[in-house]
Amino acid sequence: MDHGAGFSAGPALKLSTRARDPRFVCLALALLSVGVTLFHPTLKLSRPVFDHIVVVDITRSMNVADYRVESRSTSRLETVKSALRSALRELPCGSRLGLGLFTERRSFLLFEPIEVCRGFEAVDTAIEHIDWRMAWGADSRIADGLYDALNQFQNYGSNLVFVTDGQEAPPLNPRYKREFGAFKGKLRGLIVGAGGLSPAPIPKFDERGEAVGFYSEDDVPHRSSFGLPPKPPSEIEGYHERNAPFGSERVIGTEHLSSLKEDYLRQLADETGLVYRRLEKPEELSLALKSPEFARLEAVAADIRWLPAGLALAALVVLYGILPFRLR
Amino acid sequence: MNLAVDHAWVLPFLGLALLPLVRLPVTGFDAPWNALLPADAQSRVWTWLIKLMGVVAITGLVLGLAGLHREEYAVDRVGNGAHIVLLLDRSQSMDHSFAGRATSGAEEAKSAAAERLLSEFVSERKNDRTGVAAYSTGPLFVLPLTDDREAVLAAVRALRLPALAQTHIGKGLLLALSYFAGQALTGSRIVLLVSDGAAVVDPDSEQKLRKLFKEHQIRLYWIFLRTLGSPGIFEIPEYPRDDNASVRPERYLHLFFESLGIPYKAYEAENPAALRQAIADIDRIESLPIHYQARIPRLDLTPLCYGAAGFALLLLIGVKLSEAESWEKA
Repeated sequence: MDHGAGFSAGPALKLSTRARDPRFVCLALALLSVGVTLFHPTLKLSRPVFDHIVVVDITRSMNVADYRVESRSTSRLETVKSALRSALRELPCGSRLGLGLFTERRSFLLFEPIEVCRGFEAVDTAIEHIDWRMAWGADSRIADGLYDALNQFQNYGSNLVFVTDGQEAPPLNPRYKREFGAFKGKLRGLIVGAGGLSPAPIPKFDERGEAVGFYSEDDVPHRSSFGLPPKPPSEIEGYHERNAPFGSERVIGTEHLSSLKEDYLRQLADETGLVYRRLEKPEELSLALKSPEFARLEAVAADIRWLPAGLALAALVVLYGILPFRLR
Repeated sequence: MNLAVDHAWVLPFLGLALLPLVRLPVTGFDAPWNALLPADAQSRVWTWLIKLMGVVAITGLVLGLAGLHREEYAVDRVGNGAHIVLLLDRSQSMDHSFAGRATSGAEEAKSAAAERLLSEFVSERKNDRTGVAAYSTGPLFVLPLTDDREAVLAAVRALRLPALAQTHIGKGLLLALSYFAGQALTGSRIVLLVSDGAAVVDPDSEQKLRKLFKEHQIRLYWIFLRTLGSPGIFEIPEYPRDDNASVRPERYLHLFFESLGIPYKAYEAENPAALRQAIADIDRIESLPIHYQARIPRLDLTPLCYGAAGFALLLLIGVKLSEAESWEKA
């Protein structure tokens, strides 16, 4: 009962004869490849991910509206928040982001770094809710806040991203300067400068949180009156040990206006071993956060089943599509 | 429940699966006169099977390469759980021990004990949606209500870091209540306040709080971490002149909570063991049925695709091995 494409009832022919049949070779190759696929071969690859603790300055000067986003003037804080949210979207899965706030002289961690894909919604909402009203004090001691951040977060193995406009308030007394020696180079990271370079008025809010104009010259101290005066008494005009240790001169400056203090932040970056970057457009932050120097290489098992599966498919295409119908 | 692929561009290659319908993998040869062969039902079945196996093999491979999977989907389940907002006191005194001292080796800070036990609480309650709020001088939004337990733990662990300044509880409570605005009313809604002190609630906040607690149907738990020797929330002062909100803010906050007309329970914990007891008690009470959305994770179907292709190929190999040799060679 043999017919056109038939079978022999007898035992299988020797394998050596089969090996000469290209159809058989194709099928065997395809079967072998699929077999390999079923064992789920993977390749150890390392890909860059980024762990950051971002500390955002929420002091009053961050309310200055000197950014223009889509031709609307936007406050520094709002710009920083939208920059952070778009950066969060662009960090590769496996990266982690922790969020902290700076005001007074402290950096306060809201949460430890959270994985950015699984925790996206939670972290995104948390960034959205950052508000200057969360502040627990009115001072803006940037060097102290940075020192606090370096001190508290040194063991997290994350990079520190400190976002500020550099406006110390009240002004620093040069006699009392924060020394960063112990922390220099311990943490990698960025100091991100937010704000415009020309002085702009700082919005003022009443106790209900409603805007009531801007700070005026008389609202803020224009020099430090903390501790000992920076100069020896003989050089201070109108010095009186008890009544006027800093002199009797009325000092009016521009502390009621605020601009990005780039030189100061560069100096801080230099002292702490961080990198200074200015935030000019919200989109720039994600690039800075994905800079290769901040990457941690994470080992991932890349799926390479496509390789044997593709080979099997190719073998079948040869079998069915390319080999002539009649083979001799 | 949806099927989807990762690499849609591979799908057009499914057209290749038509090839086995027109070509056979077996070697054909000429019979002297085909018409001589009788019609044979068994052969037809075999021919079709061989074609089908070819189709299955190619389809399986292409779908596998495209990354066929069932997408993640949500099902409504009823379980035990709650919407919980942890409202954490981050004032400086939380960093002291229960004995009211700065911590030394043997004594655990109140914040550290709270961190440890709250972490356990959060890890064990699987169906809760948990949010985290904190307050010091200002209210601190930490995390919204979320299913992501890892995120909540990351926020609770931050309790280990130094705390901030003063206590402004009114703003903190208002923040915690704001978490429930616009949330579906399902399961119990809990505010779990963990603090070691209290402050006077200003009249403005008081009015808002009375309204919101009712409106959102909140159940309130207050774990008061009492420092040794300080007056508790239940104690009535010895002298009537001390019985006012500025001398005994804890007691008056307690009275305020009681007057809200909502389910409310206060616990005083003077040591970590009492804190554990309080948390276990809340865990036991708050196991009301809750409707929640369970996520059925994505199911990878590629092993199935490759498996089917492998099976088909195995059969084809079998066919090949039992193939008759051509008459001419034989």
